[in-house]
Amino acid sequence: MLFNSLEFALFFPIAAGVYFTLSHRWRVHWLLFASCIFYMAFIPVYVLILVVTILIDYTAGIYIDKVEGNRKKLLLWVSILSTCSVLFVFKYFSFVTSSVVDVGGLFGWKLVRPAVNIILPIGLSFHTFQSLSYVIEVYFGKQKAERNFIVYATYVMFFPQLVAGPIERPQHLLPQFRVKHDFNYQNVTSGLKRMAWGLFKKLVVADRLALYVNDVYSSPRQYTGLQLTIATVFFAYQIYCDFSGYSDIAIGAAQVLGFRLMENFRTPYYSLSISEFWHRWHISLSTWFKDYLYIPLGGNRVSKPRYISNLLITFAVSGLWHGANWTYVIWGVLNGAYLVVGMLTKDLRDRGFEAIGVEKESKLRKAVMLVSTWTLTCLAWVVFRAKSTGDAWYVVSHLASNWDLSLLSTPQFLLRQFPVAVASIAVLEIGQLWQRSVSFPSFVGRFQMPVRWTIYASLVLAVLMFGVYRKTQFIYFQF
Amino acid sequence: MPMAAAESQYVCVEEREYCVELASAAEQPRLWRGIGRLACFFALVACLAFAMDALVTSGLRRIKTSAFGASNVVMEGKVNADVLITGSSRALVQYDPRAIEATTGLSAFNLGRNGSQTDMQVAFLKAYLAHNRRPKIVLHNLDAFSFVTTREVFDPVQYRPYLYDSSLYEASRKINPSIWKSRYIPLYGYVVDDMNLNWMRGLAGFVGWSPRGDYFLGFNPRHRTWTNEFDKFRTANPAGVRFEIEPAGVQDLENLIQLCKQNGIQLILVYSPEYSQMQKLTTNRAEIFARFHELADRNGVPIWDYSNWDHDSDRNFFYNSQHLNATGAAAFSSDMANRLQQFLLAQRSSTAEKAARDGHLATMSVNRIAVTNRLKGQ
Repeated sequence: MLFNSLEFALFFPIAAGVYFTLSHRWRVHWLLFASCIFYMAFIPVYVLILVVTILIDYTAGIYIDKVEGNRKKLLLWVSILSTCSVLFVFKYFSFVTSSVVDVGGLFGWKLVRPAVNIILPIGLSFHTFQSLSYVIEVYFGKQKAERNFIVYATYVMFFPQLVAGPIERPQHLLPQFRVKHDFNYQNVTSGLKRMAWGLFKKLVVADRLALYVNDVYSSPRQYTGLQLTIATVFFAYQIYCDFSGYSDIAIGAAQVLGFRLMENFRTPYYSLSISEFWHRWHISLSTWFKDYLYIPLGGNRVSKPRYISNLLITFAVSGLWHGANWTYVIWGVLNGAYLVVGMLTKDLRDRGFEAIGVEKESKLRKAVMLVSTWTLTCLAWVVFRAKSTGDAWYVVSHLASNWDLSLLSTPQFLLRQFPVAVASIAVLEIGQLWQRSVSFPSFVGRFQMPVRWTIYASLVLAVLMFGVYRKTQFIYFQF
Repeated sequence: MPMAAAESQYVCVEEREYCVELASAAEQPRLWRGIGRLACFFALVACLAFAMDALVTSGLRRIKTSAFGASNVVMEGKVNADVLITGSSRALVQYDPRAIEATTGLSAFNLGRNGSQTDMQVAFLKAYLAHNRRPKIVLHNLDAFSFVTTREVFDPVQYRPYLYDSSLYEASRKINPSIWKSRYIPLYGYVVDDMNLNWMRGLAGFVGWSPRGDYFLGFNPRHRTWTNEFDKFRTANPAGVRFEIEPAGVQDLENLIQLCKQNGIQLILVYSPEYSQMQKLTTNRAEIFARFHELADRNGVPIWDYSNWDHDSDRNFFYNSQHLNATGAAAFSSDMANRLQQFLLAQRSSTAEKAARDGHLATMSVNRIAVTNRLKGQ
């Protein structure tokens, strides 16, 4: 079930309404049931995959908590490998076998590609990582094993964050299922406002920009440099609004029910360095990789070459997490390389700025850093979005050529849609800048109820009317 | 509870910045009161949506130009033409009713619909007949894909302001069973089914603004030069293409013929010009034409085939393989109007001959009766 669907508009009030009217004892059961309905709206039978993963990690958690020493370690690995094997079969099997066939072809071996066509279960990478997080935390003694199967299953399947995160940690989310969440009008309205903001990002910004981006990136060789550049900039906003919009809706929906989910984005395009960008972009995944991969590899408390390799490995794996395609791996490595080069050239850049008299805290320097970070991020998005490495190279190498102003529109994106698209980006930026100083709800809250309600109702209507409602999934669902 | 007093505060804790909302416990409405307030708020949103929907619909129905303007005159019953042109975008952009009017002296109107198949064309013709005087002649444009049924209503917003018409609604519902959402859920048809922000046109139309006039008696000439669409298409389909002959599609054309028969309308099926190289690419063209002729012969309907039109290889007359540009449309419309004039003249003379013959026979029989009576009297 998509958050931006009529089905969800019916499902959510019912799920929330029943949740609050039930006694506390049955609320978790209801959440689990509602989560199953939510997930089964995609491909019903795939709920069995979740059941298998849940059973494995639930059992492993209990036994890991009980035993010590090598048996504990063995159980952890059994749990990790079995959970990851599900991910491998559904997500990476075709990619790995195709790569083996391609590499074999280089040596003249005639290998046959297995004719397997598996549809990736939605959000598999997200709930796999959330399950892994649980068993690892239990292993390290940071989390007691959950004995109540219903509570554990709801932790994995909690519908607001089931298919695209935020990837929660057990210490944060599991205890919340035991707390009684009374109906709190303030929480409910705040949650709904957050959901409305998320829907604005998704429906008004992301999905309209997607019309242009999809046209251009489906066959980039048919478009001019200007169109490629616009599509790349649009994609930067599309993916941000798509994913952060989803996170806003997820956090808002959970808040309505009385739950608190982790923040996943903090205006990442205002970052002054790639390192800062990764502290603001998909925070729940970045911290997951930091805690469970980068730090176990040694982090930055090792020799410089090892530190560099740790960074590159972490980002390459992060890229592979996003999709079973070399473009994602290259995107990950490219971001890792940005960080490495940034680290190696930091002193040089500082000296360069000093030499031309630009102080560290000056606005000019910040502007240069902001623009350069944004440009590098956009170039990396080209690789992320392109269908193949060949397409990515074509786009990057043709961005600056043939800026024909008369050729702007694409088949799906007419000229008259540009003002709306550009205005939606402007509203997004103004909204984000405004939120830095004063929150919009507190500004509107100064007015009397009739005015306040009229403002909110008009904004909801505006979001509905400017939205694009093609049956597009959130980009991150595929991961 | 005033919302101002209950503004949320976000406090960031630890590195991961969990968002903690400190809600004021004071003045919290109870569950049902809270639900009641939320229900009131969403009722307000719903009321605004209904009002906006009515505003947009009313605005679109007021537009005098563009496709909406052409549809509006039809649905208001202001056309009442003698000659009606029906069909897809090929009808819309290729038949100039002004040429027909100038040549034949009959009033004419183009009812062509962008992206429509025969099923929707029949529905729109029915809607026309429900609101206008029936025409004397219908020129129905045929396409190589005339027997393919509609999978998805193209640009459904073009029909949205007129879904109150049962023919249009039923035809749309047959293709898309969830069309009821467009008709009954406010704004659904304008914002969910349409990405091109046509609701803005509706609002503009409500205050009296109409878009640039590019429709002339329903005809929409395209002032364009040859694009590379066909060349791309040919590259993508080097072995040619096949257009399905679906039984339902054949039935739709049969329905059109019967509809005209029942209303006493002279139907003429016209295969308007198609770029010559595209004709060669259609692998089952002969089969399609055989079905056209079989249907026409069985029902006594003439077919005018412009497959071998004088300019069918000249890219100056087309903008893609299926559509003539404004220059081509002018040339074709002139040819078509002359042929129609010849047809009408022939029809008139044959009617006159028939009348004369009937008159002569009547005189003869009267004479015969008189002679018989006279003989009887003798």
